[in-house]
Amino acid sequence: MSVRGILAVAGVECAKLGAQTKTLAVLAVCMAGPFAFVEAMRVQSSVPEDTLFGRGLKESGFATPLVVLGFSALWVFPVLTSVVGGDLFSAEDRYGTWSAVLTRSRSRGDVFAGKVLTALGFSSLAVIALAASSVAAGVLIVGRQPLIDLSGALLPPGQALRRVALAWASVLPPAFGFTGVAVLLSVATRSSAAGIGLPVVAGLVMQLSAYVDGPEAIRRLLITSAFGAWHGLLTEPPYYGPLIRASAVSGVYLVVCLAVAYRMLLTRDIGG
Amino acid sequence: MELALEARSVSKRYGHCDALCRVDLAARPGRLHGLLGPNGAGKTTLMRAVLGLVRRDAGRVHLLGVSRDSMREPLPDGVAGFVDTPAFYPYLSGRRNLALLARLDGDSGSSLNKKVGHALEQIGLVADADGVVAGYSAGMRQRLGLAAALLRSPRLLLLDEPTSSLDPAGARDVRSLVRRLADEGAAIVLSSHDMAEVEELCTALTIINGGRVVFSGTVNELQKRAPDSVHALRTSDDRAALDLASQWADVKVAPAVDGGLEVSADLDALDAYVIALGRLGVAVRGLERRARSLEWLFLQLTQHRIAGEASEPASRDVADGSRGSAVAS
Repeated sequence: MSVRGILAVAGVECAKLGAQTKTLAVLAVCMAGPFAFVEAMRVQSSVPEDTLFGRGLKESGFATPLVVLGFSALWVFPVLTSVVGGDLFSAEDRYGTWSAVLTRSRSRGDVFAGKVLTALGFSSLAVIALAASSVAAGVLIVGRQPLIDLSGALLPPGQALRRVALAWASVLPPAFGFTGVAVLLSVATRSSAAGIGLPVVAGLVMQLSAYVDGPEAIRRLLITSAFGAWHGLLTEPPYYGPLIRASAVSGVYLVVCLAVAYRMLLTRDIGG
Repeated sequence: MELALEARSVSKRYGHCDALCRVDLAARPGRLHGLLGPNGAGKTTLMRAVLGLVRRDAGRVHLLGVSRDSMREPLPDGVAGFVDTPAFYPYLSGRRNLALLARLDGDSGSSLNKKVGHALEQIGLVADADGVVAGYSAGMRQRLGLAAALLRSPRLLLLDEPTSSLDPAGARDVRSLVRRLADEGAAIVLSSHDMAEVEELCTALTIINGGRVVFSGTVNELQKRAPDSVHALRTSDDRAALDLASQWADVKVAPAVDGGLEVSADLDALDAYVIALGRLGVAVRGLERRARSLEWLFLQLTQHRIAGEASEPASRDVADGSRGSAVAS
């Protein structure tokens, strides 16, 4: 495996993604979705009061990215992270192009790492696009008013923006964890439908199982729990325990899934 | 002269089936080496094993002097080829597909564009290069596959039936291109079902059947194996003629590819056989000496095994994903 080889593969994957309508459409939805949501909230009289920060949607523009963040944890992040990760490997099976890719001057390790890098890059880009768009929509349409945090303290605009940015940054580790799951499913099933669909189903099942009584330790091992770890950042004083634990759990998901997927690709017979 | 390709005792099993059993294959620079075998014989599996697309269970492979111990290493520079019908990203143009493959080889900038343009010119696809591959015919994809191989400036080129989807003019162009590459010093392994093509192009041959090598050597050596004469025979009752021949040790009769029968025997045995046919009441409607062809020799080498295996599970089919065809004897 070489850095040059990995970057070459990643460059090729990015070029392929750039030529696909699907990828551009996902990014466009990430950019436009929050504006549509805020505009809908503005014209209607009620707000989603039972949602975290829902009550403040019309009082502070910084509530918008937090409402979107809470909503996205349910199924948007699993979709965003698997739409590329779950398709990047199985697409080669669908098009029958593994032979073409693996008879060039790049090792299977280079190909694997380059594709994973691309998948993680796209997951980051999608999360950042959604975050930036949510903040922009809230600030531009509602305004830069102070934000009332979960402890009831008033956060001035600058501090609110920093906390919002940190909250969104905190979902990157579980997003990467989900990307790892999607990559594994893409490699193992050789099916894009499974690679993209199963992580979403898994996410929903994990969300539901979090509501079922059971050992707390198991609940903490669910990767979807990590999407709620940002709540500690919006209290006074902030607490970081769940965030650290969630990052560690996400890291384990990522490493284990990628290790298994790599092993599968390395030993796989192409066309056999 | 050092071998460009040296595969020794390559074996591959799928489950309980032997797809390849201790197969040897060697190709020398500047020579065209034919790889022949009936459907499901293991040709494609062998090419995949050589290119590192499938794991070998045993054996070793050297490509341009570089040992290929596992599938971890990239294909050495100067080695190229394709197996089955080449596939590309359908939403990209042919030119764009080639450019991306060239980037995987480490090319960039103007040298990449030049290389891609040159490869497209060589295979005659310049006019269609900017159309998306989804709109390409099978023949155009095959040409594009050859262009993708040419991007690697091959000194060892493995081609799996490169003319199977081409029209006669396209096949002729590819044959002359392949011959020119060999003249320039490249070693070329050509898997083909077209006996005339192999006879025309190749100087050396490996014939495999049921995952085993049944012949390896030059075309001349293979032709020396043939009996002195082969005749095309037309009778009023081919079945009776075949039955009669089965009782004769020195006369071999088989259905001809183009109809009628093919008789392999020396002249004395042939005379006696024709007289016996007359006594049996089978009229001889035509008897014509036929030049020995590679196809006839190929069938002789492979038909017995195929006929014997017709009722057995075809192990190599697992590899190729298709049923092997049986040749009647």
